[in-house]
Amino acid sequence: MENVIECNNLSHYYGKKLVYKNLSFHVKEGSILGLLGKNGTGKTTTINILNGFLQPSGGECLIYGDNSQHLTPQTKSRMGFLIEGHVQYAFMNIQQIEKFYSGFYPQWKSEPYWDLMSKLKVSPNQKISTMSCGQQSQVALGLILAQDSDLMILDDFSMGLDPGYRRLFIDYLRAYAKSANKTIFTTSHIIQDMERLIDDVLIMDYDRVLAQCPVEEFMSEFRQFNFELENDAVDLSKEDFVINFEKIKNKVELYTYKDENFVRNYLDKAGIAYKNFTQVKMGLEDAFIGLTGKY
Amino acid sequence: MWKSIIYKEWIKVRWYLIMLTLLGILVLGIIFLGVQHDKIFSNANNYWYAILFNGLQYYSILKFIPLLMGIVFAFAQYYPEIVNKRIKLTFHLPLDEDKVILIMMLFGMVSLIISYGIMVFLFWGAGSFFFAREIVNAAMITITPWFLAGFGAYFLIATIILEPIWLYRILYTVITVLFIPLYLTDSVSGGYSPINLSLTVFTLVISVSLLFSAYRFRKGEM
Repeated sequence: MENVIECNNLSHYYGKKLVYKNLSFHVKEGSILGLLGKNGTGKTTTINILNGFLQPSGGECLIYGDNSQHLTPQTKSRMGFLIEGHVQYAFMNIQQIEKFYSGFYPQWKSEPYWDLMSKLKVSPNQKISTMSCGQQSQVALGLILAQDSDLMILDDFSMGLDPGYRRLFIDYLRAYAKSANKTIFTTSHIIQDMERLIDDVLIMDYDRVLAQCPVEEFMSEFRQFNFELENDAVDLSKEDFVINFEKIKNKVELYTYKDENFVRNYLDKAGIAYKNFTQVKMGLEDAFIGLTGKY
Repeated sequence: MWKSIIYKEWIKVRWYLIMLTLLGILVLGIIFLGVQHDKIFSNANNYWYAILFNGLQYYSILKFIPLLMGIVFAFAQYYPEIVNKRIKLTFHLPLDEDKVILIMMLFGMVSLIISYGIMVFLFWGAGSFFFAREIVNAAMITITPWFLAGFGAYFLIATIILEPIWLYRILYTVITVLFIPLYLTDSVSGGYSPINLSLTVFTLVISVSLLFSAYRFRKGEM
């Protein structure tokens, strides 16, 4: 399977502040990759580099073989781009904006756009600027679908959307992407939404990558164990196998890639007394917080 | 594809363009109503004398109108592009980025040429109705830099609006404030005759200045 996006040794600084160094990742054709991270970890920076709106301090990103700093019109015609906040030409109405974009893309498909628009209670002459956030998100999504791009880059698509619109957006998008073998690279602050959408996950922390794998693999291998310590002075945060160790008084949340037997054996061998040991079933959001920490 | 760009630009500026042109026509109406009034009530001979020998410019209220039109038009066309960094959408279109900016700029320039052209034609026509050709010709030479000021302001304001770096924005603003008065220095009728061609060339040179701002925007400089 071809790599649609290939980023090699990507580094970026804002002034002297390091965003990340030597970040490498790729996105395979037909897959949906979610880039997750706390605020300031470089999600939008990465999106901007991918779209050629930011020159990285080091490294390069290739999109369909084109360096992202010099995307050809042919490559750009294969890329759909959703700007954070569903930004569009809000001075147009839904008819005008469809007419405008259709002039750029020979493979333009009006049906999915008008299909989505018919679900909105707006008149064809209503300016986009007068629509709600949710309605604007549907306009932006409809345009990307009509563009019929092979690669969609979505920057924080859930921003400003209420739960209903988020669900509509995700379900529509995933069904479309999977039926037409489209590739998606996306970020979102709302991790629970991503669980329904993405195939692969790339989790970033400040200046490093914490996880990069299929989301199913991540969810099956990353585990949370809760237990209570007899001695609440015990600190396991420095142990190699511990990814994150949260403790409030004697109640512990321990996150690790090791299994239950390993953790229990370790505690027993180290002579650490504990009780009420349980493995907690996590959603992607829990796992994300477990991996990146609450702070 | 260029048709789609023009379509977008037209949607942004059409009402501004129409209103600004009407404003220009209104000012011309005021000018020539004044001319008619003065000709009747000041005696035609005295009025002509004042124009020919006392340097009376019957059209002086026109002076800052093209400048105002250029500034407002630049804001109408380019400000919507930087709201929420919408210009990213424009740069993401499957066209060469410089080409997109140049099409936008050419659209703006042609729009101003049409708007100014209507005004200049009416100014010339109405002037010819009241005055001898020599007076009208001198007036045409006098108003030429005023209209060039409109183009100059349009190009420079566009550059300032698209510029992502505040330091450069301030620098461009200073240049604009220093440069635009060159077009508008008080002068006798026809006094700009030797320099109008140079000003035109200079105005055309600055027309591409917005490409530098657009380049910095594209490269994410801030």
